[in-house]
Amino acid sequence: MGKITIGCFSSLVGSMSLDFAVKLSEAAVKKGHEVDLWLSGNGTMLGKKGQSKFRDYSYLMDTVTELIKSGKFKITNCEACAKARGISREDTVEGFGVASMDWYLASAFSTDRILHIGGE
Amino acid sequence: MAIKKIAFIVEKLPYKSETSRLALTHTIASQTVEIHLEDGDNVEPVLAFVGEGVLNCLKNQKALELYGVSSLEAHVKNALLLDLRVLVCKEDLEGFGLTEDSIVMDAEEIGGEVTTQVVPYEEIQQDLEAADHLMFF
Amino acid sequence: MRLAVFVSEYREPAMLERLKAEKLGIVLVQNGVYHAALKKDGNVSPVLSKDVEYYALSEDLQSRGFSDSDVVDSKVKVINYDGLVDLIFNDYEKTIWL
Repeated sequence: MGKITIGCFSSLVGSMSLDFAVKLSEAAVKKGHEVDLWLSGNGTMLGKKGQSKFRDYSYLMDTVTELIKSGKFKITNCEACAKARGISREDTVEGFGVASMDWYLASAFSTDRILHIGGE
Repeated sequence: MAIKKIAFIVEKLPYKSETSRLALTHTIASQTVEIHLEDGDNVEPVLAFVGEGVLNCLKNQKALELYGVSSLEAHVKNALLLDLRVLVCKEDLEGFGLTEDSIVMDAEEIGGEVTTQVVPYEEIQQDLEAADHLMFF
Repeated sequence: MRLAVFVSEYREPAMLERLKAEKLGIVLVQNGVYHAALKKDGNVSPVLSKDVEYYALSEDLQSRGFSDSDVVDSKVKVINYDGLVDLIFNDYEKTIWL
């Protein structure tokens, strides 16, 4: 089994790239792979507590919560990107990491594959 | 002990979206990645500007004064200050009617020693092949 | 290198002409699936004109009103997320998202 690192800069609402990243993570974990998901830029809003589920907006928290429970999935918010958007550690959903950008590169160091989704 | 090469390729224009800025800040983060790794392990970045991305490197950007955010020019200088390998696609630069005089070629005023390399796309392609991983911005 | 290029938009990405690889795969996702499902002025998309491997993500086709059999060129293989994971790990070494 391998490890894939996925980086995503796109927002939860207003883009489907984060939806893609989470679905790819889910499929990889189901096959027994490990996944590191790095959220930077607008991607950090995925980790914000208190999201509501409406049909007109993407909602991924249930899937992400299940993925975190699998033990094969690490999800980490870029600290500066999140703080710039008013999302502190206290505002971040349990199970999400908060780290500086070098976390992503460290994950890249030890991974088999990278899929970097670089924004819109 | 291992070195992993990562190529950061920037194709997006600056400012309208955050993408090229994040390319620069992530590339520069390679300078502190060692703290997460074992002794002797490290990441070796190469930063390449292609297509419209070469316009991130233009001189005299006034983004700090006018938008209140650091300019992409300043970030390119920081990359040079940190001795990163910075490549700009020659064909794309020339396609916009620009020359080396139009872009950031060094960071001498802040103590940088390395310079930007304006190279044919073929050389950038070789870096893509030599890299362990690619990140396209 | 074995390179998989994700095309996520319905325009021809400039980089696509330039990228060279021993094995090149083009994975059509999001709005990129229109390249697989539509002709333009009677012709298939220029994105499909290369001698490389092509894939399109079933979910993105179906979400946009196409069935898997609507792909206009038989060289495009329709895959799901499971298939995509296998592609990434087994068939290609590096990936780029355009």
